[in-house]
Amino acid sequence: MMLWRQFAMEWRLYRRDRVAMFWTFAFPVVLLLGFGTIFRDGGGPKLSVVRVQAPAPGPQDAALDQALADVQLKVQALPKAEAEARWARGETAAQLEADGAGYRLRLNSYLMAQAGATAGLVNQAWLMAQARLNGAPEPGRIPVSVESPGHKHSANYAAFLLPGLLGLNLVSMGLFSVGMVNVSYREKGKFRRLAVTPLPKWVFLLGQVLHRLTVTVIQAGILLLVGRLVFGIQNQGSFLDLLLIMTLGTGCFMAFGFALSGFADTSEGYAAISNLVFFPLMLLSGVYFTLDSAPAWLQHAVAVAPLAPFLRALRAVFNDGGTLAGHGAGLAIVAAWGLAAFALAVRRFRWA
Amino acid sequence: MEGWTIEVDMTDLALRVKGLRKQYAKVLAVDGLDLEVPRGEVFGLLGPNGAGKTTTLEIIEGLTTADAGEIEILGLTWAQQGQEIRARIGVQLQSTSLFNKITPRESLDLYGSYYPKRRSTEELLDLVQLQEKADAYHITLSGGQQQRLALALALVNDPELVFLDEPTTGLDPQARRSLWDVVRRMKAEGRTVMLTTHYMDEAEALCDRLAIMDHGQVIATGTPASLISDLAIPSVVELTFEGAAPEPAAFAARLDQVVERRADLWEIPTPDPKALLPRLLEAAEAAAVPFQQVHIRRATLEDVFLHRTGRSLRE
Repeated sequence: MMLWRQFAMEWRLYRRDRVAMFWTFAFPVVLLLGFGTIFRDGGGPKLSVVRVQAPAPGPQDAALDQALADVQLKVQALPKAEAEARWARGETAAQLEADGAGYRLRLNSYLMAQAGATAGLVNQAWLMAQARLNGAPEPGRIPVSVESPGHKHSANYAAFLLPGLLGLNLVSMGLFSVGMVNVSYREKGKFRRLAVTPLPKWVFLLGQVLHRLTVTVIQAGILLLVGRLVFGIQNQGSFLDLLLIMTLGTGCFMAFGFALSGFADTSEGYAAISNLVFFPLMLLSGVYFTLDSAPAWLQHAVAVAPLAPFLRALRAVFNDGGTLAGHGAGLAIVAAWGLAAFALAVRRFRWA
Repeated sequence: MEGWTIEVDMTDLALRVKGLRKQYAKVLAVDGLDLEVPRGEVFGLLGPNGAGKTTTLEIIEGLTTADAGEIEILGLTWAQQGQEIRARIGVQLQSTSLFNKITPRESLDLYGSYYPKRRSTEELLDLVQLQEKADAYHITLSGGQQQRLALALALVNDPELVFLDEPTTGLDPQARRSLWDVVRRMKAEGRTVMLTTHYMDEAEALCDRLAIMDHGQVIATGTPASLISDLAIPSVVELTFEGAAPEPAAFAARLDQVVERRADLWEIPTPDPKALLPRLLEAAEAAAVPFQQVHIRRATLEDVFLHRTGRSLRE
């Protein structure tokens, strides 16, 4: 009864803060609509090469162009000056141009994932073109396809984005919203006024946690609905699994927020501390770049950080229709972090 | 110690504090403090900022733990009966921070719901004259209105013992008066009130008994009247000047009296103003002291503090 009243009051006050509430719910949707639309690409991601046009194309050029089309590379033919300008802007992954009697392929060091794959296809096409020109038997080729791990949603960037946004919301809710609110309550003395009443502290804290949890669930619901209506993305796994992962993640990252709030005396201090945790968590999550070339110790550290296994499990369920069975170890890591953070939070928590 | 003249029935104490000590990193905030407050009394802690009043109150309210000392509140101790103490005391903190968008009515309902026993929200709104603002967001209330709401919140559980930490700081004179009325009403209702203040007029007007605090210690206890009459020099003659008061050393020697210089006046404490005055005027005339006016006033709590510590309350 006390808990319900506390929870209801949290919601009532939350609803009055229209601006904060609006952006809490609208921001992820805006991100999804924005990025999902910008990167919407009907045919799915394709490997492409910029081909610098020869002033007077010979039979060799024609044969190479034909072979490039046969290996299903997307070819953008541009005049020399235009191709160079595009290269300088950093938009080209791979650029193919005549060099003496043969050709030269330039790869963009920033975009090695696409460039590397493209290089393989260009070389294969060149072998084919030479065989055709010389009337030799054409070498066999291994077909290449670009697919998503679960063979679902392969052409839809929004589908890749959506679970990432769900995860990001949880992290920012926990680290920024929960932690910051706690520090500011303490700073302004709101906790002290509560501490002189007989209200059990756990009722107040649990009321807060339940409020945030319902906010996250509603937020996720809105995102899923928009994803479905606008981009036709559907949850491929079970909603129960999704809810379980989300609840676990919310708990884990909220505990992070509570724990960190015990280390800061002021809101300004908290902003610094939370960023100190947030950025390594994001950068080392393996979401933004692959850490294959990082030192071994760093890879081990990343393997036990909470964000990556959480997002992996979320994507596996949502995008690929997997079950939680294969993610026991990862989810155990998330749960362990949550418990450790909770223990730390209880130790460090101060009302005044 | 002076002032311990009132016989206190030990069985009917609202509050008993013995040997309280609290050391912060660099300051000894409370240094061996003893207090006894009988039920039904309005008791004041008077002292300058930094004297340890708020820390003392926070320890008694259970917000801060003491390094040493015993506290008994309504016959209960924090270690044994914390929840019962919380249910039976009312607290107004030095600043009460509530949510920006909660209304007084909602605050009173919410905080009331935390207690087993509660007064009706309507009654409390009437008491602190907030009916008109009952449904306005907290952030739209004036400082005085917020302070009155904080007072109502301290009364929400019909407490036997009420703690008010600097209840009138920052209020205009009219708001202070109406707050004093509420405190007097509390006393009439039989509650025990313990308040801190650094206004001596407030202490004189409201408190049955006072403890004057300095550097974490009680330096005097008693009724306001007894504290003043216990002073050896219960009157003060003041000479006011236009502009800054001149250096009084030569004049003091000539008069053979202590003369203290304030911003624009000299203060000459005396047990017998009638005898001093003719001598004073004569000496002033002879030394051509350019004073404007002469006042004779009774000593105040300010003088008590000055006498005990050698410093002014406002320093």
